[in-house]
Amino acid sequence: MGGSRRSLFSVYSWVVMIFLYLPIVILMLYSFNDSRINAVWTGFTWKWYLSLFENRQVMDALSNSLVIAITSSIIATALGTLAALALHRFSDKWKAVMNGLIYLPIIIPEVLMGLSLLVLFSQIGFPLGKLTMIAAHVTFGISFVVVIVSARLSGMGDELQEAAQDLGATPWQTFRHITLPVIAPGIVASLLLTFTMSLDDFIISFFVAGPNSTTLPLYIYGLVKRGVSPEVNALSTLMIAVTILLLLISEIFRRKGMAKESNSQLPI
Amino acid sequence: MINRTKWLSVPGLVWLGIFFFIPLLLVTVLSFMERGTYGQVVYSFTLQNYVRFFDPLYVSILFDTLVVSVLTTLLSLMIGYPLAYYIARMDKKWQHTWLLAVMIPFWINFLVRSYAWVVILRTQGVVNTFLQSLGLITEPLPLLYNFGAVMLGMVYTLLPFMVLPIYVSLEQMDRRKLEAAYDLGATPLKAFWHVTLPLTRPGIVTGSILVFVSSIGMFVVPDVMGGAKSALIGNVIQNQFLSARDWPFGSALSIILMLLCIVLIFLYYRVIRVQEREGGVE
Amino acid sequence: MKKIKALLAGMLVFTLALGAAGCSSSEEEKVLNIYSWADNFNPDVIKDFEQKYQVKVNYDVFSSNEEMLAKLQAGASAYDLIQPSDYMVSTMIQLGLLEELDKGKIPNLGNMVSTFKAPAFDPENKYSIIYTWGVTGIAYNKKYVKDEIDSWSDLWNPAYKDRVIMLNDPREVLGMSLIKNGYSNSTKDKAELEKAFNDLKTVVPGVIAFDTDNIKQKMIAEEAWIGTVWSGDAAFINEQNPDVEYVVPKEGATIWADTLAIPKGAKHKAIAEEFINYLMDPEVSVKNYEWVGYSNPNEKAYPLHSEEYRANKMIFLDQKDLERTEWLMDVGEVLPEYDRYWTELKSGR
Repeated sequence: MGGSRRSLFSVYSWVVMIFLYLPIVILMLYSFNDSRINAVWTGFTWKWYLSLFENRQVMDALSNSLVIAITSSIIATALGTLAALALHRFSDKWKAVMNGLIYLPIIIPEVLMGLSLLVLFSQIGFPLGKLTMIAAHVTFGISFVVVIVSARLSGMGDELQEAAQDLGATPWQTFRHITLPVIAPGIVASLLLTFTMSLDDFIISFFVAGPNSTTLPLYIYGLVKRGVSPEVNALSTLMIAVTILLLLISEIFRRKGMAKESNSQLPI
Repeated sequence: MINRTKWLSVPGLVWLGIFFFIPLLLVTVLSFMERGTYGQVVYSFTLQNYVRFFDPLYVSILFDTLVVSVLTTLLSLMIGYPLAYYIARMDKKWQHTWLLAVMIPFWINFLVRSYAWVVILRTQGVVNTFLQSLGLITEPLPLLYNFGAVMLGMVYTLLPFMVLPIYVSLEQMDRRKLEAAYDLGATPLKAFWHVTLPLTRPGIVTGSILVFVSSIGMFVVPDVMGGAKSALIGNVIQNQFLSARDWPFGSALSIILMLLCIVLIFLYYRVIRVQEREGGVE
Repeated sequence: MKKIKALLAGMLVFTLALGAAGCSSSEEEKVLNIYSWADNFNPDVIKDFEQKYQVKVNYDVFSSNEEMLAKLQAGASAYDLIQPSDYMVSTMIQLGLLEELDKGKIPNLGNMVSTFKAPAFDPENKYSIIYTWGVTGIAYNKKYVKDEIDSWSDLWNPAYKDRVIMLNDPREVLGMSLIKNGYSNSTKDKAELEKAFNDLKTVVPGVIAFDTDNIKQKMIAEEAWIGTVWSGDAAFINEQNPDVEYVVPKEGATIWADTLAIPKGAKHKAIAEEFINYLMDPEVSVKNYEWVGYSNPNEKAYPLHSEEYRANKMIFLDQKDLERTEWLMDVGEVLPEYDRYWTELKSGR
C-alpha cells in the first residue's frame, strides 16, 4: 500500500525541486554568457569568473554578507529559542499577548522597520556599519525563531519534563536531555531560515548600512541601474558549488565516522 | 523552576524592546505629523494621513492585496505540505540534506533569481522557444507581466516559510497515533484528515501566518514579474518613502496594515481554536 | 544535524579569516567615502587616484535618489562624496543637505562644456557639478516599428499595443505626458496634471511593463518594441541590438544628469574636492567615461576621445535636440499629487 503512495510523493517532491532549481540552473548558464547584460545569449565565455576575483567590491560584499549572516543568525536563534522556551511557560492569556508582540516585527513593512532603526541609530549617534547591520538582522530574525521553535514546543507535552524533574533531574539536565532533543529540529530550521533571510535582505540592510558594510544584496541592487553584471551570476554559481561541495565533504566524513563506529561495535 | 524559565525570555524581549518597539514608537509619532514642501517631516499634529487612506483607491488596492496574499498562502500550503511531508517521512540521514537543498536556492540573491524567471518566461524565453520548436504553439504565449506571473513569483519566494514550519511539526508527530488509526481500519485519506492534519496544525498555522504576512508587504515581485502594472499596498507604502517622500503618510499606511494583520491573525486563531474544540468533541 | 553543524563551522572559520584579513589595513590612511550608483566610475581610475594621492577610497552604492536622500535626511552621513541626480540636487539644496563647493580647489572645472556650467537645478553651480547626463527619448525597434517615429503620440499608436514600455518612475512618465500635451514636465498646475493623467490612462492598458532597471534587457530581447528610454541606455541597447533606434521627439523631452556633490558635514571635504578635480582632468576623464559609457561633459576631453565614442549620436546628442529639452524640477507640495495619479494609473482602475 505504502509503496505507490511513497513514489507518488517522491515524484511530486522532485517536481517541486525542479521548480525551485529551474531559475538557478538558468542563472548558472548565463554566468557563461558573453554579453555584459543578461538579455540574450551571445556566446560562451569564462571571463566573468576571472574578472570576479579582481572585483574588490564583490569580494568585500561577499565577506560582509557572510560575516553578518552567520553572526546574526546565531544570535537571533539563541535569543529566540530562549524566548520561546519561556513563552511556553506563560498562561494562555499572556501567551496570546506575547505572541502578538512577537509577530509584530514580522508584520511590519520592511521599509518602515529599516527607517525606524535608522532613526534610532542616528538619534543615539551610533555609527552605522557592520554592528548596526547585525543588530537589525537579529531583530527581524528573532520573531521567526520564536514562532518556529514555539510550534515545536506546543506539540510537546509537559509530561516528560515533569517526569524528569520528579526523578530529580536538575533544570539543566532536563533541558539538555529532554527539551533540547525535542526542539533541535526547530533550532536547525531557525538557523537555516535566519541565515537565509539575512543573506538576502535588502531593504532593512539598506537603511542601516554604513561605509564598509555593503553586503551582496546592496551591491547587486546598486548595479541594477546599469544592468546586473554576469559576475554576479558567476558568484552565485560559485556559492552554490561551494555549498554543495561542503555538503559532500561532510557527508563523506559522516559516512567514515559511522563506519568506524560500527567497526568498533562489531567485536562486542 | 518552571517560573524561573520565564526569565529566559528577558534577553530576547529586551532586544526587541530596544531595536523594535522604541523605533516603532518613533514611527508611530511620525504618522501623526505633516509632510513639508520638500518631503521633510513637519512636527505638527494631524490625523490627515489616516483620513487619506479611506480614499477608495487605496482601500481597493488593499483589497486586491488581501486577495493575492490569501491565494499565495493557499498555493504555498498546497505545494509545500506534500514536500514537507515527504521530507519528514524519509530516512533521517537524508532529511537535513533535503532541507538544505530546499533552502539553497534562497541563498542566491532574490533579484538575480527573479531575473532568471524573466529569462525563462519572456516572449523569446526558454519556455516559449521550447514550445515553439515542438510546434505546439505558433505565437509566443504571454507568460510574464500578468497576474499569473505575480502569483508564481510570490509562491516561489515564500515557499520556504511554509515548508520549514510544517516540516518541523510533521517530524515531531507521533506515528503511533497514525498506526492506531490504521489498525482501527481508517483509509489513508481518513487517517490523514483525522490524525495527521490535526497533529500538524501548529506547523500549518505558523507557516500560513508567515507566508500571509510576508506576502502582504511584498513589492519587488509585482515590479519584476508583473511589470509593475498592478500596484499592491506594499508598492504604495514603498513609494511614499522612496518616491513621493511622504514619510508621515507612509508610516500611517504601515500602521494601518499592521493593525489589520493583527486583527486577521487574531480571527484566524479564533477559527483554529473553535475547530480544535470541535475536533476534540468528535 | 551534524552536516549542518560542520557546514556552519566551516563557514564561520571562513568568515573569521576574511574578517581578520579585512581588519589589517591601518587606520592612519586618508579616506574618501563615496556614496553613489554602482559601477559609476572606472575602477582603474579610482585605483590610480588612491595611489597618486595616498588615499583609501570606500565606495558604497544606492539604487535610487530617494534611498540616498532618506539616509542622509535621517542624519546618518559618513559620506564625503555623493551623486544625486538633477531634481534631487534642488531638493537637497532646499533641505540644506549639501555643502558649498570650494571652486578654488577644483581648477579643472574650467574644462566643463559651457552649456552644463549653470543648469537650472543649481543655477550658480554652487553645490554640484554635472558628471553624466542624458535625455529621455523614444527607443524603437525598426524590425517591428515601420512608421516614422518623431512624436510622443507614437506610443499611443494601437499597432504597438502590449509592446510599449515605460520607465517605472512617476515624474518621468507623467512628465512625458505633460510635455506631449504642451506643458512643463514639472508643472504644479493641477488641471494640467489631470489632463496628462487622463491622456496616460488611454495608453497604460497597452503597456507591457513599467521598468527602469531592466528596460535595456526588454528592448534588447525584443519583448518591447517601443518605449521611453534614457539616451545612455539607448546607446547600450543599440550596441547589443542594432535594430533599436533612438529619437528625441519633436514636442521636447526631459534632460537629466547625475552630479558630483558633497553632503553637509562631510569629514573629508578637501579630499572629495581633490577627487572631483582629478575626475575632470581631460585624460583621466577619457579613461573614465569610455568605461562608464555615458556622455562626458568635459570640453577639453572631447578631442581625446575615440572616434567611435564621439560619433555615437546617443551619447553626444545633436545641439538642436538639446534645445528642446527641459530639466525636472522639484514640485514640492504637489509631489503627493503626482504619486496619487501614479498609483491610480497602476491600479488599473
